[in-house]
Amino acid sequence: MAPALLFVAVFVLIPLGQLVATSLSDRSLLGGGKFIGFANYWRIWNDSSFWRALEFTAKYTLVLTPILIGLGFALALLTVDNTPLKRLTRTIVFLPVVIGLSSSSLLWFWLLDEQVGLLNKLLVDLHLIGEPIVWFATADLAFWAVVISITWKVVGFGMVLFIAGIQSINPDILEAALMDGASYWGRVRLIILPLTRRVLLLTTLVSAIGSMLAFDQFYIMTSGGPRGQTFTAVYWIYQNSFISFKLGYGAALSIVLTFIILVFATMQIALTARSAET
Amino acid sequence: MTTRRTCGALAAMLIASSALATAAYADAMTMWVRASGANAAAHLVDLWNSTHPDKIELTTIPDNQMVTKLATGVQAGDVPDLVSFDLIYMPDFMKAGFLVDLTADLKANPNYASVAQAYKDIATYEGKLYGAGFTPDVSILVWNKDLFKKAGLDPDKPPQTVGEIHEDAKKIRALGSDTYGFYFSGACPGCNIFATSPMMVAAGSKMLPANGNDDALTGDGVKDVLETFKEMWSEGLVPKSAQTDNGANFTGEFKTGKIGIQGTGGFLLSELKKDVPNLNFGVTFLPGVKEGQVSSFVGGDVVAIPVGSKHVPLAKKFIAWELTDEAQLEGLAKNNIVPSRPALADNKYFAADPRVVVTAKAIGVGYVPWVFHFADMVNSDSSPWINMFQRAIFDGDVDGAIKEGREKMKEIAGQ
Repeated sequence: MAPALLFVAVFVLIPLGQLVATSLSDRSLLGGGKFIGFANYWRIWNDSSFWRALEFTAKYTLVLTPILIGLGFALALLTVDNTPLKRLTRTIVFLPVVIGLSSSSLLWFWLLDEQVGLLNKLLVDLHLIGEPIVWFATADLAFWAVVISITWKVVGFGMVLFIAGIQSINPDILEAALMDGASYWGRVRLIILPLTRRVLLLTTLVSAIGSMLAFDQFYIMTSGGPRGQTFTAVYWIYQNSFISFKLGYGAALSIVLTFIILVFATMQIALTARSAET
Repeated sequence: MTTRRTCGALAAMLIASSALATAAYADAMTMWVRASGANAAAHLVDLWNSTHPDKIELTTIPDNQMVTKLATGVQAGDVPDLVSFDLIYMPDFMKAGFLVDLTADLKANPNYASVAQAYKDIATYEGKLYGAGFTPDVSILVWNKDLFKKAGLDPDKPPQTVGEIHEDAKKIRALGSDTYGFYFSGACPGCNIFATSPMMVAAGSKMLPANGNDDALTGDGVKDVLETFKEMWSEGLVPKSAQTDNGANFTGEFKTGKIGIQGTGGFLLSELKKDVPNLNFGVTFLPGVKEGQVSSFVGGDVVAIPVGSKHVPLAKKFIAWELTDEAQLEGLAKNNIVPSRPALADNKYFAADPRVVVTAKAIGVGYVPWVFHFADMVNSDSSPWINMFQRAIFDGDVDGAIKEGREKMKEIAGQ
């Protein structure tokens, strides 16, 4: 117990305490700084750029999470049997998960390039579009470009979790349902889905928290543009802390974001736990 | 006994070799350099190491980590003996007290008098000097002579004004669907302060405010240049990809041979000569609105001594050496890097290529803005500079963009 406590104290509690202390100061990356009470938090309240970034992050999370859950579950249903072809399919879908997020973002940045990007070339050659799409010219297109890239990158992770969940269901239950004449979709809806609820909770939490903390993909693919419309909350924290050197303010932003994520995660766990009991 | 004797002998050897090593590297210095300047710095450091008994160990720091690393290093007392960083951070570092005062040494140095004024300006804070130009870079205008010829333009007559860039770009664009008159990286704040702002400065504008009471983006140059860029964009003289180019294609586009004119950096010359040796291009100063107006952005790295350096006298000796003819010519010019002393532009290494001479001379006509919070005002992805640039050119609201840019820049300068 003691080593675990020590570990938590050194790597979680002490840094968290320092973060809180920094958030109550006007400390700069270049040094100095004095205690200013809750001034940073008051400033956050009036920082429209932060709330805009948070709104954008929430939109990103709300769009991406259902895609990852739905697609992950569908892929799991399609590849749950251990046939060689399905195992190969699983491997292919899972492969991008092991690539670094920065590398995959760079990969997609160039794939979507309007001049040398393969995707544009393919769409033009198939006569689906007349001329190459400039993916990062508008906030909406840039948003979808990132959503596509992240779906490709992480959908395999949810799929593997769902496969594990489905494979852990007692086959007798599914067999009994089959003998009772339950259709495929009936089995999915009434047996597989309820019995993989815990996996669903885990996948939702991981996807939602990961999306709320999104940074690399936007930093690399959109640079927050066009005109600052694709800044996420973490990107805004980075901008303030390391570009504007405002460490104190960046720390306060981090505390606020942590609090928001904690509230939503707790609500989500409580809701799912309640529905699991019923 | 034998084992003990062997151990004793080994220990003695270790102590002796360690003492020898200490003696040999008693005055070995450490130097941090940001990644962008690492190649050029390595030439100078190699030359120093080959001609001096006291060696320098060079460590490359990723560009975006230099400020954090130096700031935390100074506060923790763990710094290198020398540091080479992007000159735009000089005002912030000097104000923060990170750097050793070099006033007496540099003023007594006869070579310092001929260093480009921009380097002297950026390294001065409250009358004291804290650094010297180290591995320079400077912005210039390049034009594709073959495209000029095809378009019926004189290939040896580059545009002398921003208006002429526009006129020439129209003729080049008329050559074909995939040939464009002009290029800029529309989503890259750094590229445009480097290659576009000098056109505004040449036309008499002042770009950035030094404090909250100072004005930003003054004069008609800003508007004139933005209007011209907006027209070139709306007339399709610039590739569509320019709008979203965050700098990734800043050097790549001109290499394709399908761009007529572009503002860029001196570093592009050696890249072009190496990557596309058959590309027939010229180099000239970045022009202003009227004929005869020229300017450039003096960039690159400065070298300074961080507070806490363990070898200050030796580090000062290195800074004095890097300004000598030997270092400037054999360390920089020989490797196609422009010296920080413009008077050395005409040298034996550049003689074969007048384009390099023009680049080296551009340092003498260049400017560098002396401001705190440069990153906030310009380099950041949400900076008022890039927002103004994009709103003016891509949204077409030049006046509104300038007004907003002025207000935001003043707000940042007042912090």
